[in-house]
Amino acid sequence: MTSRLPVSIRVLAVFAVSFVALPLLSLLWRVPWARLATLLTRNAVMDALLLSVTTSVVAALISLALGVPLALQLSRMTGLAVSAIRAVVVLPMILPPVVGGAALLFAFGRNGLVGSVLADITGLVFPYTIGGVVLANTFVALPFVVITVEGALRAIDPRYELAASTLGANRSRLTFKIVLPMVRPALIAGGFIAWARALGEFGATITFAGNIQGKTQTLPLAVFVALESDREAALVMSVLLVSVSLIVLVSLRDRWWPVR
Amino acid sequence: MTKSPSPLLDARVVLQRGDLSLDVEIVVERGETVAIMGPNGAGKTTLLYALLGWLPLQSGWVLLDNEIFEAPGQDQVTSTQDRNLGMVFQDGLLFPHLNVVENISFGAGKDADNHDLMERLDVLPLSEKYPAELSAGQTQRVALARTLAARPKMVFLDEPLASIDLTARIDARNSIRSALEQSLAGALLVTHDPTDAFALAQKVLVLEEGKVTQFGTPVQIRSQPKSRWVADLMGWNVFHGVGHGSSVTLADGTQLATSESDLSGETMVMISPSSVALFLERPGGSPRNSWLCRIQRVEHLDSLARISLSGPLDLYADITSDAADELDLTPGRDLWVSIKATEVRANTILGRRH
Repeated sequence: MTSRLPVSIRVLAVFAVSFVALPLLSLLWRVPWARLATLLTRNAVMDALLLSVTTSVVAALISLALGVPLALQLSRMTGLAVSAIRAVVVLPMILPPVVGGAALLFAFGRNGLVGSVLADITGLVFPYTIGGVVLANTFVALPFVVITVEGALRAIDPRYELAASTLGANRSRLTFKIVLPMVRPALIAGGFIAWARALGEFGATITFAGNIQGKTQTLPLAVFVALESDREAALVMSVLLVSVSLIVLVSLRDRWWPVR
Repeated sequence: MTKSPSPLLDARVVLQRGDLSLDVEIVVERGETVAIMGPNGAGKTTLLYALLGWLPLQSGWVLLDNEIFEAPGQDQVTSTQDRNLGMVFQDGLLFPHLNVVENISFGAGKDADNHDLMERLDVLPLSEKYPAELSAGQTQRVALARTLAARPKMVFLDEPLASIDLTARIDARNSIRSALEQSLAGALLVTHDPTDAFALAQKVLVLEEGKVTQFGTPVQIRSQPKSRWVADLMGWNVFHGVGHGSSVTLADGTQLATSESDLSGETMVMISPSSVALFLERPGGSPRNSWLCRIQRVEHLDSLARISLSGPLDLYADITSDAADELDLTPGRDLWVSIKATEVRANTILGRRH
């Protein structure tokens, strides 16, 4: 039996839970459950859903493909360099997403630093395309993979590497047969959190990729538009996003934080 | 061309790591197991890591089976993976995501047949288990099998028995001994337990503060300890005093005749408990090292009795239990203690060490 806290603290704790739970409950309260199916199958909703799922999954996969090598690199570095690199990579986590979108425009826009060269050579254009949505999603999701995986890598006893080396394992065998399998839970958690973050992306996407239905209008953007014109559709899509987030949270509860 | 008999391992390891400055020369013959003993922080594990190529040498060399891993003037240092040196860690350090068979075959290659090895170490029944499901003793046997399956030219064992409880330790010691005898050209065994060292090794290297203080057979270590740490470990009586010629004067003025002849300055004196003789009457012929002492405690260990004595010298004497009964040794009784000068070992301490 744990000892009881002062009443004032318990009241504040209840208030904190209510503060988060109430808006979510209000959302569920107002959903027109009877017309759920018809609302969900509307063109705008289906388009947004399909686009969101596709772009967020692709963004999560790219985040893993780029974030894991970076995490591996960071995990064996020390000193100022590692702090500096980590700060840069983590910045999109706390940066206002609109600013991130603007920064992406200046880099990958038609007249951007990289974008103009890229367009000349390959013909690839990002702004206002589905590729732009993926790029914006990846930009905000990547840090979650790097942070999660690097933390797990740093927690591995370095003697495992020594053990594998004395057994004749070369660098790639060590990485793919020992190190990465040992951080498998973190790879899964990092991937899912990156995916959830990408799925909810709004600011960077609308700034960089615009809001074109069927092309760059993801679920969060569709919710925002529908709030003005079609409240019921907005509610339904919001519930959809809340459900997805809940599923991710529940399925990762052991990995993201310890149970008990 | 005649083949000169060369040692299996020939190394000198010089390196600085934190407060430890390690400078060790070590030679291991083919088929030989050398135990490395020493107090905590003496550099035992560091020495193994350096030989494995895991820690860089400041200077020195490492040769295994005539193959030069590193040497002065040689730019290329052979990497750990190419050294063909096996390592068994104190806690086994099995790969947690691989089962027992996968762990054992990790270094052996796909086609290797480890059936006999696994049978010998009694790990076949554990094949499908994961490391988290194994006891400490099972973990250690699997770790040994994993190391031996890679067919190393030499195997290093770092406190392999430390995590195993005493009842299982005899079995574990036996499996290590038979495995070493059957499949290896040589071994280095780090241990703090003299029993392990004497049971498994043909030579013992004593490492203190990064330096070798003694290197010899178990018998030599037991009978002629060269440092206080070894003497304490072997249960010897140790005293400090000032040496002059063949005798040593202790702080309270007690004179001790020794087997040495050219002592001077601060001197450490070591007396084996088994060379302390006890008499009810003053011994005749006036032996030089002879005092009246009082019995403080009598402990029986198997057929041996260890007598704690106080007097001009506080010391331990080991006699047979039968003799102890015959002399009716009980605490509080006074006895004559006599030690032959030839049984008193003394070393002048050059330069004070903490």
